[in-house]
Amino acid sequence: MIGFIIRRLIAMLLTLVAVSIVAFAIIQLPPGDYLTSYIAQLASTGDQVDPRVIENLRRQYGLGEPFYVQYWKWITGIVQGDFGHSFEWKRPVWELIWGRLGNSVLVEGMAVVVMWLIALPIGIYAAVRKYSLGDYLATVAGFIGLAIPNFFFALILMYLAYIWFGTTMGGLFSPEFENARWSLPRIWDFLSHAWAPILVLATAGTAELIRILRANLLDELKKPYVVTARAKGLPEWKVILKYPVRLALNPLVSTIGWLLPALVSGSVIVSVVLNLPTAGPMLLRSLTTQDMYLAGAIILLLSVLTVVGTVISDILLALIDPRIRYGGK
Amino acid sequence: MRIDRMGGLTGAVALAALMVGAAPALAQQQSPVLDAMVESGELPAVGERLPSNPLVVEGDSVGKYGGTWRMGLNGGGDNGLIVKTVAYEGLVRYDHEWKTVLPNLAESWEASDDATEYTFTLRDGVKWSDGTPYTTEDIAFTVEMYQDPDYAANSWIDNQNNPMTLTVIDDLNFKFTFEKPNGMFLETLASTDGIHITSLQKAYCSQFHPTYNENADADATSAGFDGWALYLQDRCAWGWETIRFSNADLPTIYGWVIETPLSANAQRVTWTRNPYFWKTDAEGNQLPYIDNLDMRVSQGGVEELTLAALNGEIDFQERHIATNVSKPLFFDGQEAGGYHLGEVIPSASNTLVLQLNLNHLDPVKNELFNSKDFRVGISHAIDRQEIIDVVFTGQGEPFQVAPRPESQFYDEELAKQYTEFDPDLAAQHFEAAGLTERNGDGIYLLSDGTPAKITVDVISALRPEWIDMLEIMQLQLEAFGIDLELNNIDRTLFYEKRPAGEFDAQIWAGDGGIEALQEPRYYFPFSDESVWAYRWAQWFNGTRPEIAEEPADWAKEQMDLYNQVRAEADPEKRADLFNQVLAITKEQFPVIGVSLMPNSYSIVRNNLKNVPDTMFNAWLFPTPAPMDPVVWYFE
Repeated sequence: MIGFIIRRLIAMLLTLVAVSIVAFAIIQLPPGDYLTSYIAQLASTGDQVDPRVIENLRRQYGLGEPFYVQYWKWITGIVQGDFGHSFEWKRPVWELIWGRLGNSVLVEGMAVVVMWLIALPIGIYAAVRKYSLGDYLATVAGFIGLAIPNFFFALILMYLAYIWFGTTMGGLFSPEFENARWSLPRIWDFLSHAWAPILVLATAGTAELIRILRANLLDELKKPYVVTARAKGLPEWKVILKYPVRLALNPLVSTIGWLLPALVSGSVIVSVVLNLPTAGPMLLRSLTTQDMYLAGAIILLLSVLTVVGTVISDILLALIDPRIRYGGK
Repeated sequence: MRIDRMGGLTGAVALAALMVGAAPALAQQQSPVLDAMVESGELPAVGERLPSNPLVVEGDSVGKYGGTWRMGLNGGGDNGLIVKTVAYEGLVRYDHEWKTVLPNLAESWEASDDATEYTFTLRDGVKWSDGTPYTTEDIAFTVEMYQDPDYAANSWIDNQNNPMTLTVIDDLNFKFTFEKPNGMFLETLASTDGIHITSLQKAYCSQFHPTYNENADADATSAGFDGWALYLQDRCAWGWETIRFSNADLPTIYGWVIETPLSANAQRVTWTRNPYFWKTDAEGNQLPYIDNLDMRVSQGGVEELTLAALNGEIDFQERHIATNVSKPLFFDGQEAGGYHLGEVIPSASNTLVLQLNLNHLDPVKNELFNSKDFRVGISHAIDRQEIIDVVFTGQGEPFQVAPRPESQFYDEELAKQYTEFDPDLAAQHFEAAGLTERNGDGIYLLSDGTPAKITVDVISALRPEWIDMLEIMQLQLEAFGIDLELNNIDRTLFYEKRPAGEFDAQIWAGDGGIEALQEPRYYFPFSDESVWAYRWAQWFNGTRPEIAEEPADWAKEQMDLYNQVRAEADPEKRADLFNQVLAITKEQFPVIGVSLMPNSYSIVRNNLKNVPDTMFNAWLFPTPAPMDPVVWYFE
């Protein structure tokens, strides 16, 4: 097992190097650079930009250099903990993103937990009581959640909150708690704001989870070991939860790695609509203004999350599914 | 207000009593929030903080102090709203009607007859927000910084086409000398561009420059910057640069000073009153009346701001939220939200400007687009009323790209020519342009045998209605044998395509509807924004000589005339000359417009007073700042 983990970690590092090159190249792909978009902004306000000024800026920012030089500067900086400067904000990238990533992980992590809390019991119920009224209701509800676009659901929630309660929903904190330290009132304030995005993000994925769990569980429930367990007089809940559910979880666990990045990218529009200070809107803006190092850092960190998540899910899989063996001959 | 509803003697008595009671309040010369600071000696008395001759700003009524003006920034980089609310404090300013240039920081000025020399006298005793005097030293320092090639700011101060030198006479008097005549210099100073010269304080900003601080480079490095220029930019960003508002230490001359700065992570940007602000109301009370500004920062969507406005959580705003689509919503929500809608007259003349590329690199398309008959044909083939009815719920009227009716340059013929929908005329003009053959789909064939297809670049993110309009135009033009292809792209790419010269057409709104003289981009090849003749504009400006192309004779004549406009100090002669430019525009018909940009609106809370009912809106006339928000107050 340890040998497996070590091999997995080495592969992870190599993947990260490859991913960082690809990420940087993709950000460089669109025509123009930060200065083009900066000049576009200036020009739209009626300014004429002197080409000499542009040359000067391009030199200052090191934008004229070839791709591999820029990449090498960037990646060696990152190894030393320096993610570069944001062009737009003239600030170290790390300073800008760490709070945002924290918010993202918090909100999106809670959305994952809520999603699982909703989906697991419903999935199990739907499998055990196949074709019952409850199964159909759960299915329909799940599919509605899947079918409504997240941003639209967010808009509806905002509108209803405005109509019914006369409040403007948005943000993660009330003004007085925005910059406060964590405390019980602040946690309460956070939860009273965060329930909406969490709900929106969670409903999007539940249907999928319910269907996967239900299908897998249905396969398992017919197997002889279940019949045997039942025949030996185990209580029904134990029969189901202890073996078939554990095995049915396999596809869920093996996709943990995709979950976090999918949530971050999936939540961009929700964050914009609901005005959440998470990494999503910042990524969106940095891409449109071609703020290269900021966008690169966010994409790289998302990739790290994916790769690390995959390693975790591999290890978890080995733990929950006794049928999986690594490196065995 | 209560007094009005009482009648007779009781009313008079009550009024007298109230006047007596109010007397101390009228003697008030500063906001009560400053009283304690003055008493403790932290702040000098109001008389010492004000100039000897403060600028008096009169509102409809004398207001009272206090309150917080709530508004919303759209996304982190929304420096525009801040400029338009707080930062419009130049040497001079515009009046409410956008006609006259009024004194501001400069008390008076004189221009030489040939419009090359401008002498200004500063208001005596104006102070920065940190209490230090505002003098010609600061002006001299600003000019020095802007003209430093390493401090890449970009404005009229360091304009290579008409270099400027500054002569300081004494603490209050100074002179700008231009190499070439600059007849519209006062308009430049009164517009947003004017705030460049008042943006830097020598005492604070000089510490980041090697001339004044030999350790400037080392300081920059230890602060994490690659050189002093980047550090200086970060600390002392010029004019309206976004990060200018992210340094709370930077002294300013605005009515309000930053409390919570703008940053990538700021969820709100807040401002408090500048205790040294140099304007008073008619009774000598120091302005502004409103103590605080509170700008919530949205993450780039306007949905939350729209709901906040409906909910009465926005006190005044026009920018971002006043969209066409939301107008009925805001109209219905007035009573519940406790606000009303003000009128905003846009400076843009047109909802959509179709700019065919007259400098196309493909000779066939170049010839076609340069044919006036072709452009007139397209104009007649567009059913403008249908577009107005469908997209703008009937608001607006068929209009070309021309000065708006509110402008002194309005010319009905220029505004209305070729706007009628006329299939026969369209066909005639297309034929005159050499389009006779059609292919199996009914699309005209060009001289090289290819179908007449025009690919139109558009940024739908900027104005969603552009796509709606273009889709209708697409159907209309297809019926006449012209294939319009929509190319919805990102803004950066949109700009990148211009120098390459291989685009067919681009879409923008009709800037220069009111400020035609300063923004003539559609009337002749004036700037990079004259996309329809990008290479001719380069010839005019000398900016990108490698792609400059010699313009057609008529355009050269316009450029000649406009150079005379620039050199002319007399407004009447200037108008004469500019009318000649417009006459050539009318004759040549370079770009195609659709409809007059309908008036917009603002959200004004009912308890916010002294807000003018109608205001113009443009970047050069940065609404609401020229409408003097410093005299607005909460009842």
